[in-house]
Amino acid sequence: MAAKSRNRIIRWKETLEQLHFIANGSLSIIVFCVCFAAIVTIIESSFHMKIVIQNDSMVPGFAAMLILRELAVVVTALLLTSRVGAGIAAEVGTMKVTEQIDALKMLGIPPSTYLVIPRLIACTLGTVMLVVVANMACLFSAMAVSNSYLGYPPAIFLTAMRRFVQFQDLILAIVKAAVFGAVIPLISCYFGFRCESGAEGVGRATTNSVVVGSIAVIVLDFILSYAFSYLY
Amino acid sequence: MTRAIQGFIKVCDEVGNAFLFFTEIIKTLLFRPCRKSLVLEQIWHVTVESFATTAMAGFFVGAIMAVQFTMQMKEFGALGYLGGLATSGTFREVGPLLIAFMLSGKIGAFTSAELGTMRVTEQIDAIRCLGANPMQEIILPRFLGIIISSFFLLFLGLVMSVFGGMFLGYFLAGVNPEEYVRHIPTIITGPSIATGLVKCFTFAVVLATICTQKGFYTVGGAKGVGRAVVSTAVTTMIAIVVMDWLTSFLGEVLLHMVTGS
Repeated sequence: MAAKSRNRIIRWKETLEQLHFIANGSLSIIVFCVCFAAIVTIIESSFHMKIVIQNDSMVPGFAAMLILRELAVVVTALLLTSRVGAGIAAEVGTMKVTEQIDALKMLGIPPSTYLVIPRLIACTLGTVMLVVVANMACLFSAMAVSNSYLGYPPAIFLTAMRRFVQFQDLILAIVKAAVFGAVIPLISCYFGFRCESGAEGVGRATTNSVVVGSIAVIVLDFILSYAFSYLY
Repeated sequence: MTRAIQGFIKVCDEVGNAFLFFTEIIKTLLFRPCRKSLVLEQIWHVTVESFATTAMAGFFVGAIMAVQFTMQMKEFGALGYLGGLATSGTFREVGPLLIAFMLSGKIGAFTSAELGTMRVTEQIDAIRCLGANPMQEIILPRFLGIIISSFFLLFLGLVMSVFGGMFLGYFLAGVNPEEYVRHIPTIITGPSIATGLVKCFTFAVVLATICTQKGFYTVGGAKGVGRAVVSTAVTTMIAIVVMDWLTSFLGEVLLHMVTGS
């Protein structure tokens, strides 16, 4: 029985712990940042629209589209890269440096099932949930700002939104979130496992994982946007 | 409730610490400026370290914006405006934000890890024992170097984003580069570029202040360094988003005051 529980592929207890750290711990920061980003989007796109077509009646729809397709998911993913990705790399790197990973191997527990798979599952699920919440918060704050700043009440905002975005935009945002959520822990664990000895090695692994993670998010976002542009 | 109040006090504490540190750096800059060679060394170091990353990030940010605007412009049959709109959107808002996020991971994490390691291995105390001022010898060159080089890097990223957009406009939308570039000046005006540059400068100052402060006040050994790095990245991102909003808002207010409407 003990051997069986040791070699399970999915370890639910660790997964739930990681999920709590990733989703619950980052929720307030992400909602805060995404709300501000939405406010800036409204202000700036109203500026553009006034230059190009002399009125800003399309701002709500345009901002909603930009939020759903790009802004919410990319800002969430970049924040998660620096918070969760750096955390994972530092943790795994410290375990590697202090030889805890070798200890796990000696106990017959494969480090990948103990360290990588729980984080992978938790981060994928957590990012998807966070992106849904972030999209909601983003749209609500955009609605509030366009009400107070541009003078478009929520009803007009929602009507304008319907013209520009469909339900599939949310689905594609969720697909993007799942991809980013899977990539972040993989990169961090990779750099954590390859960490060189000493405190400097851990610092370098953390920095590298954040940098490579952010680049991966931006490049993947480009690839996914390009691929999805054939679906609209 | 008490937890909320404690959290609020903690946030105020962080903001106050950052401002005090900033005023201290400015005081050091005015009364005891550091050697120029140290600043140049930092500029060289930071720029070489992040040049390729920033260029790549900028290129892809421009490409993403071009993809998004293409879909929208096709609907109105106004693909000619693609160059102007995508460039303007990237310059004024999305570009500085995303590239600054990228740099906060790169430069911020690197600097705070370096300073944190110096702090926990007592090198900073050693400098003080030698009769030198650590603010003057270590913090100030890094602060100035990061501001100058990340301002330059952000601008580089923005320029690269134009190329990214042009590339994508050519391959996805069939807008040839000449037409793409020709419409940029019709929409982008002086104020747009100025907003972009002001944003870049603000983000550079925020990044430099936070990463030096977090690194300088690291406590608690190797784990403390890790904690300092993570908190630098998170704090910088939050500060960047807030400053983004603030500069946009102030820019709008100033525009209203100037045009008088």
